[in-house]
Amino acid sequence: MTDDVIVLDEVIHQSTRLRIMAMLVSIPETDRLAYGFIQKTLDLTGGNLTTHLRKLEDADYLVITKEFLDSKPRTWVQATPEGRSSFAEYLSSLEKALNWQPPRT
Amino acid sequence: MQESDGEVAAVTPQQSWQAIHATVDRARSSMYLAGTTTILLLWGLIASLGLISQYSMETFATDFTSRYPWIRAPLWGVLVAVGMVGSAVIGHRAGSREAVGSAIRSAGIRVFLFWLAVAAAAFLIPAAAGMWNEDAGASILRVSIGIVALGHILFGIMYRPVIAAVGAGIAVAFYVPSYLAGDAAPIVTAISILVVVALSAAWIRKSGLP
Repeated sequence: MTDDVIVLDEVIHQSTRLRIMAMLVSIPETDRLAYGFIQKTLDLTGGNLTTHLRKLEDADYLVITKEFLDSKPRTWVQATPEGRSSFAEYLSSLEKALNWQPPRT
Repeated sequence: MQESDGEVAAVTPQQSWQAIHATVDRARSSMYLAGTTTILLLWGLIASLGLISQYSMETFATDFTSRYPWIRAPLWGVLVAVGMVGSAVIGHRAGSREAVGSAIRSAGIRVFLFWLAVAAAAFLIPAAAGMWNEDAGASILRVSIGIVALGHILFGIMYRPVIAAVGAGIAVAFYVPSYLAGDAAPIVTAISILVVVALSAAWIRKSGLP
């Protein structure tokens, strides 16, 4: 294992984006979370959340949809299958990094 | 490594691992707490209304209450039923604003069943203890409030400590006046419970919970 190069996905390996993806993949594939729910749960400003959502959306890791609920606009966020598999790979790399031992000299 | 949005981009693997666990845990807890502040205020009003009604009947309609001593049971039964239906509606509406799908639906059902069990226990445990009679009937509320306070403490331990503090507050708001305020205890308790739920709702809102 010590000869392996451990690569962590740069899009996910950022504190805010990591937490956003963790929230989204912790629910079933067909489920969606409200923008406001993510913002409140992660204690983020609107601008900060929007910036990170855009980066994840650009990487095709999530989709953002807008709908009207009770005559009020709602923004929903859902992880894509690609986002889920990238997060699974990220977790696998993270496990390797956590178990990594420096080579003995 | 710094990004244009000002966030520190790099985290250590240990920090990442901890952040994932903490986030999933917090997200799940938040789903279980959808509509909590509004529901707390609703139950504060219901408890106060019940106590004031009971006090009014026992003070101003003594003949009526001595003729129908069981009247407290339907009074609280109706209020609790209204509270359960109201809480379910508020919780469902709040949940549907936060997420769509089976996760939030499952959380809503579990929360409803938890509180249904607490409400059932508040009625059935005094019954099992043989308290539904003229002699012990007046003490049923003491037992029921204790069960409800314990329900809050258990729910708070599982999902968010602030709810456990609400349970302790309810117990204090009920038991202290019942020993110190004499005949005026129901009125003092009604006001105290309103104060407890209002302070708790403000605290919960301030802490950023739904």
